[in-house]
Amino acid sequence: MKAHALIIETFRRRQAILIIHLAWLGAYAPLFLIPFPPKAWQWGGFLFAWSGCLLPLALSAGIFGHDIASGRMRLLATEPVRLWEFYLYRLLGLSLQAAVHLLTAGTLILVLQRLTGRGNIDRFAVWLLASWLIFSAWAALSTSVSVVVSREHNSMLVVLATIAATFPLYMLLLFFEDSIGTKIYIVVLRYAGPPVELLVRLGRGRCSLPGGLGSIAHSLLLTAFYAAIGILLLNRREFTAIKD
Amino acid sequence: MNGGEKDAVPVIECREVTKVYRGGKTAVRALDRVSLRVSGGTIIGLIGPNGAGKTTFLSLIAGLIFPTGGTIRVCGHPARSLEARRSLGYIPESPAFLARYSARAMLEYHAALHGLSRAAIREETDRLLAQLRLEEYADRAVGGFSLGMRQRLALAIALLDRPRLLLLDEPSNGLDPLGVIELRQVLLEVQRTGATVIISSHRLGELERLTSDYVFLHQGRIVEFASELAAGQMGRLRIELLPGSPLVAEELLTSYRPLEMSEAGLVVGVGGVQDVPRVVSSLVQAGVQITGVALEAQDIEQTFVRLYQEGDGS
Repeated sequence: MKAHALIIETFRRRQAILIIHLAWLGAYAPLFLIPFPPKAWQWGGFLFAWSGCLLPLALSAGIFGHDIASGRMRLLATEPVRLWEFYLYRLLGLSLQAAVHLLTAGTLILVLQRLTGRGNIDRFAVWLLASWLIFSAWAALSTSVSVVVSREHNSMLVVLATIAATFPLYMLLLFFEDSIGTKIYIVVLRYAGPPVELLVRLGRGRCSLPGGLGSIAHSLLLTAFYAAIGILLLNRREFTAIKD
Repeated sequence: MNGGEKDAVPVIECREVTKVYRGGKTAVRALDRVSLRVSGGTIIGLIGPNGAGKTTFLSLIAGLIFPTGGTIRVCGHPARSLEARRSLGYIPESPAFLARYSARAMLEYHAALHGLSRAAIREETDRLLAQLRLEEYADRAVGGFSLGMRQRLALAIALLDRPRLLLLDEPSNGLDPLGVIELRQVLLEVQRTGATVIISSHRLGELERLTSDYVFLHQGRIVEFASELAAGQMGRLRIELLPGSPLVAEELLTSYRPLEMSEAGLVVGVGGVQDVPRVVSSLVQAGVQITGVALEAQDIEQTFVRLYQEGDGS
């Protein structure tokens, strides 16, 4: 019952969550009005970017930060629930929402693509898996940031940090492509940041079977690593009152 | 009350608890080496001026913040541990809920967090909705609740699974007079089950009807504690004397605390009306000439204000 209550809570905690799901799904249908040629538009890649990378930031906004800022956490943290359970079940709640969302979106895209013939759905099942994996990684990162950032600023911070991390990469590639510093920076981003590049390669089928399995394992481990940091922060977090 | 004589394991045991809030270059010592031991089945009023450390103290016991120094145990378990949290119910000063949930759904959600079975959740929810007279509003979204209704819902949540310790931070905020009376009745019922209640309140008159045990916090320290002390200062006995007698009288009344002295008389702190004959007879027997006696009974609010002012001046 405890797990069920916490998982359901991730969906019911704000009215906006239902609206976000509907808005995200609603964005797919109008795109089919654009006469994409089959080779120019890959629906799997779009699903990966739209629902895999952007949706988790919208759904996880303020997932702990809002509770902490509003004082709700002062009521929750005195309940006999281990703080790691709060974190884990909330992340699981997000992940399950993503699974349902992606399956719904996938069905919608498949039907519309079959009806219109616009764009392509090559390796669609793999893209669906990659989208769920990247969703979970972003969601874990954003949820962990939410433990230390008040209100809904966690998602914005993740976006800004991503821009701040990728902009220097372009500069380095432009001016110091062969330097060792650039190579180290790329390795750090590739393996410590959300594994966008590796999962895109998986979706496009540009890796071997062991390489693909490695990417899946890496993505899951990274999600677990982000979650572990969030749990550590939550355990060390004080839930203070504004006044005394 | 605070000696832990009744229970082998005290409900609350704080040893040398210090809490310092650090922010940039400044540090605020909210609590300073506070020690306290509370046994079961008592109601304790936690009082003190704003900034005295009341909310900090309750937050530390509830495990919401960490002490900078010292140890806190709740029912024998370290504060913030799962076992400690299982033993307590807590109402923050401004309880916040998920606005979309109804009162029933909110209670069911918190009951689920207690690990209760589906049947037990339903039973507990119905019991508490009835006890806190929330049945009428049970299916309304909490977002539309008044402050008083939110306080009642918070109390219902705190009472889930019958805690051994109830920590209440300003629970009567927003309650109408009827709500305050109901709160008092609920707390007395809780006490009868053997649970301990610590209640922080600015409305001191309400506490007086609930308990005679107080913790006076001032500048992060316990100024006075124990009912005997509080009770000993509950009355001011004004004795009017012939000129020249007050000094003699003061020397005679060594067991009573002198509060004021003038040419025309003196004021001493007494426990109540039962002390008046004892004081008067001891003075008369010593030959002191009394021209008038008046007992100014003080309620807890006046006592607190006086103690606070005296403490400030020292």
